[in-house]
Amino acid sequence: MKTTPLPLLALLLAGMLALAAQATPSAQDILAASDAVRNPEHPFGVTNTLIEYRNGQQTGSSTLGIYSRADAHSGRFRSLVRFVAPARDAGKLMLYSGKDLWFYDPANKASVRLSPQQRLLGQASNGDVVSVNLALDYRASDAGEEDVPDGERGTRHCHKLTLAARTPEASYHHIEIWIDTGTLQPVKARFYAESGKLLKTAYFRHYRKQLGAERPTETVIIDGLDPNWVTVMRFSDWVQREVPDAWLQRDYLARFKPD
Amino acid sequence: MHRWLVCVMAVALWPQWAHCDDSDALLLADAAPRQVAAAKDWQWYAEGAFGQAAWRHGLGRDANQRLSLDVQLDKSLTTGWRAVLANRLDLNWPAPSGQQHSINTLKEAYLSWQPQDERSFDIGRVNARYGVATGYNPSDFLRAGAIRSLVSVDPASLKKNRLGSVMLRAQTLWRGGALTALVSPKLAQQASTEAFSADFGATNNQQRWLLALSQQVSEDLNPQWLLHGGQGQATQLGFNLTTLLGDAGVAFIEWSGGRDRSQWAQALQRADDTAWRNRLASGLSYTTASKLTLTLEYDHNSAALDRASWAALRHGPSAAYLQYRQWTQRSQELPTRQALGVYALWQDALVQRLELNAMLRHNLADHSRLAWLEARYHLERADLALQWQVQSGKAGSEYGTAPQHRAWQALVRRYF
Repeated sequence: MKTTPLPLLALLLAGMLALAAQATPSAQDILAASDAVRNPEHPFGVTNTLIEYRNGQQTGSSTLGIYSRADAHSGRFRSLVRFVAPARDAGKLMLYSGKDLWFYDPANKASVRLSPQQRLLGQASNGDVVSVNLALDYRASDAGEEDVPDGERGTRHCHKLTLAARTPEASYHHIEIWIDTGTLQPVKARFYAESGKLLKTAYFRHYRKQLGAERPTETVIIDGLDPNWVTVMRFSDWVQREVPDAWLQRDYLARFKPD
Repeated sequence: MHRWLVCVMAVALWPQWAHCDDSDALLLADAAPRQVAAAKDWQWYAEGAFGQAAWRHGLGRDANQRLSLDVQLDKSLTTGWRAVLANRLDLNWPAPSGQQHSINTLKEAYLSWQPQDERSFDIGRVNARYGVATGYNPSDFLRAGAIRSLVSVDPASLKKNRLGSVMLRAQTLWRGGALTALVSPKLAQQASTEAFSADFGATNNQQRWLLALSQQVSEDLNPQWLLHGGQGQATQLGFNLTTLLGDAGVAFIEWSGGRDRSQWAQALQRADDTAWRNRLASGLSYTTASKLTLTLEYDHNSAALDRASWAALRHGPSAAYLQYRQWTQRSQELPTRQALGVYALWQDALVQRLELNAMLRHNLADHSRLAWLEARYHLERADLALQWQVQSGKAGSEYGTAPQHRAWQALVRRYF
């Protein structure tokens, strides 16, 4: 019987290892893939209905029209957010373009520059856990695989990733996120402050086919400091639409009138 | 349902839900209403107010009532065409001094044509407002004569309840920048006190033009330059800029300058004293984690009277004093060179949905003050508010002269 030469065996082994390494996506790749599940790759519009609860009672609701596109250079989402309800706020606009944040009130034609702190304190801040490319602003590391309860009382086998902020644009110091190992759908995430304090927990649920992919149509956000403060975010009326770059600036706010 | 009962049920049904807080929240979410609100082209509200004012010079107190109707319409007509209308009617009892019980303010009425995403044209009455400061906006060139009905000294109210100017406006946009040009013709000679007048004489009593150029130079800096000129006035330059100070602060600066007559010469039609004049508003805002935003603003106007001239005017003939004050009020200008303003907005103050607003304006020449406070509670489709203001200072000072010393007002606003 002929024996296989040792160098050839070593070469084969090395090749198999290289292929295996190529086949196993990195934590950063998994995160990027789960970003793509949440965010369409082309400019889009979506309606976001937010329902807020405190101590089990509904305390408020609002509806936002979101018009968003990923920046061709940075990959970050730039968005125009139009308040549809309540009536008090109808027609008001927010522009999110990196650090360029503006609030516009059509009643007085005033554009007011907002600080990142004001963004985080507002109702629309919860958009941070939805239309954002986490892979751009956070460094992901693999924290193993585990079975976790999902938002629909099921159990999903997930990658657990730990994300550390790596750019000034990152809104949270670090994040834990659970991503389904089979579908790469985000299932649950926990957002933390630098102090280690839990700021919010999000469940991504009710996956439906929207704009060519299964996407979460509901996110349930539980406040970290007060678990009795719950915000339900529902996404409807997804539509692929043009959001020209020229719209995403202060001077356009006065004339933004979506179809 | 009691929270503990929800927990027990959840854990019994889904044993993996040992951590009960989240299952509780998800049960709530399951039962959340599914209606989705649709955008409307129009919105309107009715506001009823009553209050009391205390007058100076031993003139006692007066009760007052007001009913206001405010409507806004923004309707797409055909592709690229859009109609905008904003109107407000104030009914006052008693009638404000020198005015009728009813005052209608036709704020905006214009047609807009947008042949391409990046180009647009507007024709009609447009509220074209510029500036980034809170209390004084020197680059808001079209503000003179715009306030027809004064319902509150709150800067936000002054900006909302005002007349636009009739104009033809064109705008072109590109990534990170915009150029706007407008011409505003002379349509009438002087303002009207008629209740339902469109009052073109208040805003279009001279021919004017304006150019505004914005260009983003970095993610944080988006300066805007303006040029404004017109019949009988030298071209004025304007500039405004904001920048972030860390995560919670915003700094702003707004300036206008050019060769101009002093306010004194313009108000009293005195000899031409044209020289370079600067107007400036600058400051910073800071927002705390508890949703309190504090703004400090410094205002300067070199076309206004200096301290000595202001003191002389205060102690001189009352007709000249009155004429100067009326001119500065109509023009929304500072009567003296320097002022300070402190503004506070506290959202969800102490309880959810309660908003506290405060303003303190201080004249640095005569040390008179205006203080204004508002507590506003938001219901689902209505607001309840209580406002209080006091003007204090020596006789003849900016705020010590106003006949109204103290005032309070309670109001209810219902949105439809």
